[in-house]
Amino acid sequence: MTGAPPIVEMTGISISFPGVKALDAVDFRLFPGEVHTLMGENGAGKSTLIKALTGVYKIDEGQILVAGVERRFGGTADAQAAGIATVYQEVNLCANLSIGENVMLGHEVRGPFGINWKATHRAAAGVLATLGLEQLDLRRPLATLSLAIQQLVAISRAMVTEPKVLILDEPTSSLDANEVANLFTVIRKLRDQGVAILFVTHFLDQVYAISDRITVLRNGGFVGEYPTRELDRTTLISKMIGKDFATLRSLGSERQTHHYEPRGEPLLKAEDLGRKGSSEPTDLELHQGEVLGLAGLLGSGRTELARLLYGADRPDSGTVWLRGKKTDIHNPTAALSHRIAFSSENRRDEGIIRDLTVRENLVLAVQAKRGWFRPLSRKEQDALTRKYLAELNVRPADPERPIKFLSGGNQQKVLLGRWLATEPDLLILDEPTRGIDVGAKAEIQAAVAALAAKGVAVVFISSELEEVVRLSDRIIVMKDHRKLAELENGPHVTAETIVAVIADEGDDEEGDSE
Amino acid sequence: MRDVAARRGAIMRNPAFWGVIAIAALLAINVIKDPSYLSIGYNGETGRLSGNLVDILRAAAPILMIAVGMCLVVATSGIDLSVGSIMVVAGAVSMELLSGMDGSTGNAALTLAVALGIATALGAVNGILVSVVGLQPFISTLVMMLAGRGIAKVITGGQNTTADNDSFAWLANGYVAGIPVVFLLAMAIVALVWLLVRRSALGLMLEAIGMDSRASRLAGVKRRNLQLTVYSVSGLLAGVAGVFATASVMTVDVSRTGYQLELDAILAVVIGGTSLAGGKFSIGGAVIGGLLIATLDKTVVFLGIPASATPAFKAIVIVVLCLLQSERVRSLFRHRRALRAQSQKEAVAA
Amino acid sequence: MRSNARIARAFAAAGALTLALTACGGGDDDTSASGDGGDEVVTVGFVAVGPEGGWRQANEANVQDTFTEEAGFELKYAPATNLDQRSQIDAFTSFVDEGVDVILLSATEGAGWEDSLRRAQEAEIPVILVDRGIEPDDTDLYVTRIAPDNYEVSTSVAEWAVAAFPDGGNYFVLEGPAGVSVVNERNQGWDDAVGSAANLVKIGAQTANWSTEEAKSVFETVLRANNNDIQIVFAQNDEMGLGAAIAVEEAGLTPGVDVQIATIDGTKPALEALSEGRLSFVAEYNPLFGETLLDVVGQVLDGEEVEPYIVVPSETFDSPEAATAALPTRKY
Repeated sequence: MTGAPPIVEMTGISISFPGVKALDAVDFRLFPGEVHTLMGENGAGKSTLIKALTGVYKIDEGQILVAGVERRFGGTADAQAAGIATVYQEVNLCANLSIGENVMLGHEVRGPFGINWKATHRAAAGVLATLGLEQLDLRRPLATLSLAIQQLVAISRAMVTEPKVLILDEPTSSLDANEVANLFTVIRKLRDQGVAILFVTHFLDQVYAISDRITVLRNGGFVGEYPTRELDRTTLISKMIGKDFATLRSLGSERQTHHYEPRGEPLLKAEDLGRKGSSEPTDLELHQGEVLGLAGLLGSGRTELARLLYGADRPDSGTVWLRGKKTDIHNPTAALSHRIAFSSENRRDEGIIRDLTVRENLVLAVQAKRGWFRPLSRKEQDALTRKYLAELNVRPADPERPIKFLSGGNQQKVLLGRWLATEPDLLILDEPTRGIDVGAKAEIQAAVAALAAKGVAVVFISSELEEVVRLSDRIIVMKDHRKLAELENGPHVTAETIVAVIADEGDDEEGDSE
Repeated sequence: MRDVAARRGAIMRNPAFWGVIAIAALLAINVIKDPSYLSIGYNGETGRLSGNLVDILRAAAPILMIAVGMCLVVATSGIDLSVGSIMVVAGAVSMELLSGMDGSTGNAALTLAVALGIATALGAVNGILVSVVGLQPFISTLVMMLAGRGIAKVITGGQNTTADNDSFAWLANGYVAGIPVVFLLAMAIVALVWLLVRRSALGLMLEAIGMDSRASRLAGVKRRNLQLTVYSVSGLLAGVAGVFATASVMTVDVSRTGYQLELDAILAVVIGGTSLAGGKFSIGGAVIGGLLIATLDKTVVFLGIPASATPAFKAIVIVVLCLLQSERVRSLFRHRRALRAQSQKEAVAA
Repeated sequence: MRSNARIARAFAAAGALTLALTACGGGDDDTSASGDGGDEVVTVGFVAVGPEGGWRQANEANVQDTFTEEAGFELKYAPATNLDQRSQIDAFTSFVDEGVDVILLSATEGAGWEDSLRRAQEAEIPVILVDRGIEPDDTDLYVTRIAPDNYEVSTSVAEWAVAAFPDGGNYFVLEGPAGVSVVNERNQGWDDAVGSAANLVKIGAQTANWSTEEAKSVFETVLRANNNDIQIVFAQNDEMGLGAAIAVEEAGLTPGVDVQIATIDGTKPALEALSEGRLSFVAEYNPLFGETLLDVVGQVLDGEEVEPYIVVPSETFDSPEAATAALPTRKY
């Protein structure tokens, strides 16, 4: 970071895709022994820049110097051979193999009789030790580990080749606070060994916790490169979204002060709702027009409870009354017909259908609710799509584009549109803002507030406690698959309140999140 | 200029386009052998059109049926290996029934209904095994493939049963307005299936299941019902194919009727641009695939390719076709051309 | 269910055999479990082709009817799955492992039997080839082959063609699947006999896989490719001949007049077609040689020498009248 020359220097990088300028004259420098964060809204060009560096995309203009030599890589493997390793957001490991095998895959130590497994495992142990992970059992199958540990294994795997540059593309998007802290310990260790680390994340806290410098991109263009300590949060956000952030901020406080008093019969009432092994019997009440927050650590049972409400998993105990009537919600189809909608936390596997267009994704639930033999006419589909694309400010507002080409935040907005199009009375949103940029996040929060104002009951789940506190009228705190407490929200409730509830109740520090 | 190039690119990327090219190429080879290959004669006496093209259309009819059924199944990321065996069951039922009855049209209609009903039921069994029991489609339909031929043998007592019924035979051999009935029927059924799938939301639902069954379940898509429907339709269409195949000679050959035709059907679907991984499907593509396979079969005979070389010839045609369809191979060619052009330019510059 | 019963029976038989052997004690050490005891059941493993056509049906039924329990045999019938050689080899191997007394083999494909036959030899189980031969024809590997002679039968078809077309003509051959020994033998017999008549011109040959449907489709295209200028069809089985007849009719020609079709096998549908004039010549390939087979099995088990090739005599039918006369007594 000091006088040393940059290990990676990219100047004037431009890439065009048909119809879009994905990167426009972007500069980027990375020094040995620093953690450098790439910031920007989704679609700003962060991933594209990484892929330009590793040669996944061919650059149209510009120059890439690695250790002072001009390079053009032919792909991730090529880049890795030159000392640039990448760990992607989605863990790309083999679930059935052991930790040791995963770490050494493709770099097995060979002896005269093929692979020398003993030596291979020894090498794996060495790599893990340098990262401070020597406590891991090499022979354990990867599938038995939490996502967080898998992430660390993925990093270990990248470190096998002893790269000089390590790219971490949103490694924290599915980790909780504890796990993030673990990951950061590892990252700091690597930094101190002189590895240059390029870090992509959406979490501002994390940016300030770990990075030395920040490069900001916006709409494929280069905004600037700043030392972290010289850039405060507000400035950073306004640089990212290019406009004043104050309006977005006001939203939360407004909601929190304007507390909603539930009146009359609950929309949904559940008694002893539970499922063996995933959710302890829980009581629950939901009123029209209120936002119920489910807070708790990852693996505390928030998602499991939400899935039971929607019938995504079948409850094996308890009774549900809907609008005062005893109702059996045994599958999603039944839930939809009772005007309940559920947006899964797993956007990639349980949310969007990648190869369908935005329009098809948006109308899918409405169409499924009607049955395939009563098709929506093309006109109705177009009207519905246009309505929600505009309402939720989806960009690009092109209904015929496959949804996979949209950024995460815009995909999430389309999904929200999918559920809103079914005109639900109860909307369950599981981590709707995870892994998306601040701008989209604020828009989704605003949409939730607006829905509640219109009388929809919303169950809101998020790992970001501030967000839960800001949006909810009531908060259920969960831990170990059961309801710990129920809080009426108000000015006295903060994220710390919830943390205190969780911490007071238990003595477990390890957190057996799976 | 740019627009034209883009449109041309889109056409080249459409796998069915290469299927059409392959058909054209095969026909061209036949024309080289015999310039009158494409001519279509009209027989004033019988009022029939005749010629090689007409023969191809007739031969394509059974393949079209099973290819379309297979296409729907594949869209849900399943596979139906039992179509050939369901064909032989439908054929065996038809012949066995007809051989014991007089040759009236009523009997033909009754037989048709029973045969197609049984074929649909066998398809539904596949559907239940896949959707309710939750077996792998490959395994369920493999079981049905083995069982089906066994059932056919039981039905005919192991014989190759022959029957007489002019109305039934007309389905495969008759002509309306000079065009083979069998092809008209096949196209009508294809059109019907297309309408059913594309004018309702069935197509979208099938693609959704095929692309991401978990996401579509949470979106309220009823996977079980749809799978049951699709496998039943595939069974029904295989039954139609079986009727076409046996009616043309009024004989069911329990060991040969429909034998290995599931492979032809899968091939037709893939040639038509539907990925075996499921998702986006193209019925039009499957039709082109089916026509290509029929053309290929007829070409082999027309050129008099020796029996022992036939499989190799077919394989080569199909491998070349698949290579042309592959984006990667095409871009490799482009790349080489570009390199050559560039090196020429550089040479000139130097 | 049934196979369970069969296995149980096999075990019972094996048990009985063991008892009998121990009872014999240290008598003579003639190990062959020959049938001369009279009471003992002889186990016969029949590696068969299974459903393939009328001819095969008649042949295998005839074998099954001959080796009955009353005659002192237990016949284990193992038809191939969809004419697949693999399934035949499996059946053959398990017969060897079971230690049956004799194996009858009708191979779906000629090549690839050496290893299996050698195993049988090591286990001292005699193998008799029924109908189909093996390739290469190594007579050391089996005891004898009993069959109508494909070569002779197809020679008789060729002789008919030569005599019926003194002024010559064009002919087309509809073959069985490529590589099967029957196909090779039938081609050989025909080619050798027709080769002498220079005025018979071969237009081509295609496989129609023994199938009526395929034969129809193939021959319709062949007619088109040659402007209907074909006078003789040599169909290597009845089914394909009948398919060719349909193709001829659909082309607007008359079978028997414009195109004469000769077939091999002599099944009932073919003789009916011959009596109607749709076929012109049918050479029987006699499937009913169970009795001959029975004698040979007895001789083999008694340790007698037998000829390596036993030809079953076959008839030919060259006119509608001959066919009509034969039809009432036709068993297959």
